[in-house]
Amino acid sequence: MNKLIVVISLVMTLLMPISGQNGTQLLSGTVIENESNKPLDGAIVSIEGLGSKITNSKGQFIFSGLKNGSYILRVTYIGYKSISDTIKYVGKKEVSISMIPNMEQIREVVVKGKKQDVDNSLNTLLTNEIKGVELTKIQGKALGEALQSIPGVSSLQTGPAIFKPVIHGLHSNRILIFNNGVRQEGQQWGLEHAPEIDTYAAQNLSVVKGAASIRYGADAIGGVILVQPAPMPVETGITGGVNLLASSNSRLGAVSANLQQAFNLKSGILSWRLQGTLKKAGNTRTPNYYLENTGFRESDFSSQVAYQNRNFGVETYYSQFNTDIGVFTGSHASSIADLQAAISRPEPITPSYFSYSIDRPHQTINHDLFKVSSYYNFKNDGRLEITYARQQNLRQEYDYIPLTGRLNPELYLKLITQTVDVVYKQNLGGGFESMLGINGMTQSNVRQYQMLIPNFRNYNGGVFYIDKWTHDKLTLEAGLRYDFSWMRAYMLNNNTLDIMTPLFVSKNLSGSIGAQYQFTPNLSWSINAGSAWRPPSINELLSNGVDLDAGMYMEGNKDLKKEVAYNVSSSLQYTNNRLKIELGLYNTIFDGYIFAKPSLTIIKDVRGSYFLYNYTQVNANFKGLDFSGSYDLTHALTYSAKMSLLYAWNKTIHDYLQQIPANRFESNLEWKFNGSKTFKQPYINFGAAYTAKQTRVPSNSDYAEPPAAYYLLNASAGASVKIFNQMININITGNNILNKAYRDYMDRFRYFSDEAGSNYSLRINIPLGKSNQ
Amino acid sequence: MKLKKTSLLLTLGALTLLSACNDEETHVSPTIANEALTTVQYKLTNTTDPTDTVTGQWEQLLDNNGNPLPVDVSKANLNLKANSTYSAEIVIWDKTQTPVFNVSDEIKERANYHLFFYQPLPTDTTYVIPAPTGSDTYPDPIPTLLTLTAKLNMSITLTDHDTNTQQYPVGLTTLVKTGAASTGWLRIVLRHQPNVKDGTFAPGSTDLDAGYNVTIK
Repeated sequence: MNKLIVVISLVMTLLMPISGQNGTQLLSGTVIENESNKPLDGAIVSIEGLGSKITNSKGQFIFSGLKNGSYILRVTYIGYKSISDTIKYVGKKEVSISMIPNMEQIREVVVKGKKQDVDNSLNTLLTNEIKGVELTKIQGKALGEALQSIPGVSSLQTGPAIFKPVIHGLHSNRILIFNNGVRQEGQQWGLEHAPEIDTYAAQNLSVVKGAASIRYGADAIGGVILVQPAPMPVETGITGGVNLLASSNSRLGAVSANLQQAFNLKSGILSWRLQGTLKKAGNTRTPNYYLENTGFRESDFSSQVAYQNRNFGVETYYSQFNTDIGVFTGSHASSIADLQAAISRPEPITPSYFSYSIDRPHQTINHDLFKVSSYYNFKNDGRLEITYARQQNLRQEYDYIPLTGRLNPELYLKLITQTVDVVYKQNLGGGFESMLGINGMTQSNVRQYQMLIPNFRNYNGGVFYIDKWTHDKLTLEAGLRYDFSWMRAYMLNNNTLDIMTPLFVSKNLSGSIGAQYQFTPNLSWSINAGSAWRPPSINELLSNGVDLDAGMYMEGNKDLKKEVAYNVSSSLQYTNNRLKIELGLYNTIFDGYIFAKPSLTIIKDVRGSYFLYNYTQVNANFKGLDFSGSYDLTHALTYSAKMSLLYAWNKTIHDYLQQIPANRFESNLEWKFNGSKTFKQPYINFGAAYTAKQTRVPSNSDYAEPPAAYYLLNASAGASVKIFNQMININITGNNILNKAYRDYMDRFRYFSDEAGSNYSLRINIPLGKSNQ
Repeated sequence: MKLKKTSLLLTLGALTLLSACNDEETHVSPTIANEALTTVQYKLTNTTDPTDTVTGQWEQLLDNNGNPLPVDVSKANLNLKANSTYSAEIVIWDKTQTPVFNVSDEIKERANYHLFFYQPLPTDTTYVIPAPTGSDTYPDPIPTLLTLTAKLNMSITLTDHDTNTQQYPVGLTTLVKTGAASTGWLRIVLRHQPNVKDGTFAPGSTDLDAGYNVTIK
């Protein structure tokens, strides 16, 4: 589709190869605007086979690892015509590329290009991204499952369909998820409450690991997950895509499609996008038996309309996430006696067959999000962004039909969250960039039927300031934030019918400071020290009742104080033409880490006996290491390895902490074949993942010993195939291909059943319209 | 300037929406407990003398938040005659509802999913209901460390049946036979066994676990 008029002037200045000894063959260049000769910051320059780079503020980019020969160079920049050309590379070379605006009116930048798509704050925290080909390999998975491929990120599972992301051993209220720029709020304190997010709507999943409260607000103690859709289209015409997924194990089928269009108006660009996903899965099969009632259904929908021009933009977004998830019947063991009996069985006594039907017990969740956001670029190079969002999370959990015959859910929680974020960014010159922001949030929670957590209303406010200074190879950044949190609960007195309204107020000042140094173009090092905090969550303060699948009677503690964490992390990145290494180290010290501690008391009800758990606060320490590396053994064959180590310690009682992910190791071998015009970028990948046994557990605090270590073999293969002039991306993945029976320490159903057996998935992606190139 | 105005309006609009919160959360819905079996009555009638009836009541009410209050075992006593036969029925009530709800009628309708177990304690035969191990306990008023050693001379037969293809007992009605004078306890457990009822205790989960003091004279 070379409709674009390519105006390219490649001023090829042959420079003397300064050093040939390393074999580092460099290609550098500058991207400028055609008319003004102004450098373009944030243009994407890609070379086939070498990936892509983003130009810096001087419009510069650099590629290493070139060999003599021909390369296809592609340059894109929003608001400008894309450039694609073949260059001949002979030794070191410098190129200059000038780009022309692709519209009559909008000759300048529509969306101000930024080096970091994520957010230009806190570059010194450990950050990983999943996008492009990597994202296509995991598309359709639950968010918590999809992110497991990132070192330091694991998941807390409740059976085969419920995954909660865990960053550096922290989850639930200790991490924040931003869905399209809006803080996701949906009873995330619950251990079996997975994030209500459709990963098909994302073009990029990034994880900021470590205390990121400064920019994102209270609760971001363990880190932040950013789920970002593709930017709205700026080139006219309709584009879109269809994604299909079929998996063998639970006979999962998924269809997701999106359609988008941009119009040129006199003053700017108007665009829209529609996206939807349907998913259905039946009972999961472990190597030896099916897990009854583990199917799920999901239907998601989102729509977006945006208007943008050089200085001003406004966008509205509405999305819906609806799911119905069966809860494995073999896990229905509330009392200690039932639990002990279930644990002692080698396999569940539940009917073992395949079925798509979902019976009680099950949970249905409906999450609606409406967002309107706007930006304005001031003449002084400042930028103001305002976002308002309203989300409604409706969670209904159904147990077996009670003998009373009532059909209502046992648990009904409706959480309405409204957020307002105002951020002002200013490039102050002299390498200084600063950001000033205000976050406001209010929530209303309404429960019905059973009492698990009470009704509440909260108001939260925060104000932050972040400054960043870049000079030559050094970047320094610092931030300060103040938060205030007010929450009033509404609940019935246990004995009288009066309404009690306990109030909880907390406030905190947090800070962050970091540095990054680029020793050579290949080697960079960064360090960050910061603090983060969260107020105790509603369940920790006021829960009072039985957790139906854990034999636990949870009792909140009204006197809990805020939880504060101090985090230091450091990372080293090295990249040359064959070797890539990323090493991260972190240490987090908690002051007032809140967790449910088993007490020696037994609570009895009509069904039997339960252990009483009280929420308490201790001082704790989490430290660990994330490593990922890859090495090109040959031009086609790449070996890569990942490692996540974590050590968590309860400093108050000098013992380990419970439910901390075990150490993990992963190794992969990927073979990239030479493709053809109709069969592009084929690859085959074999991987082995080893999860150690979690031996660092507190004594006498669990019903069963942590499961044994296990290793799994995985494989995948994929390519882009041209059929009838239509490009189709296909990949096949096989997980647990040896069909190994194993249990995972981080699965809350490990007491009752094995994990899923082998699973083969076929993913087909059909891009439509202009993007089909 | 127009744009500035627009963004200002947007902000103001957003703030208005934020403050315009309704107060739905201030109205607290009453707690409806999932499965509130609050009161268990075991009614025995001497088969040779219909006027000789014995009723024991085990009761555990709930507080306003649906959480269990201490068990009332003041009426959980069964004083039986030695060497006698009683026909017995179990009646279960949910007192959290108005009017009080008869749960045993529901169990009868869903007999295919339910099975009662009766365990005289102490016993010298195999336990029908597994004895508690580890941290688990007996229901009140049965002491978890049984303080008596001589067995309770009492045997219980289930006399009703469900309608499963392979019929299994239900246990809403029973026949109780007493032997020589002795004292002990009776534990009654109702198992909920949807699609997995096979006449044994293991499948499913416990709906009810109650106890009685028993004196045979």
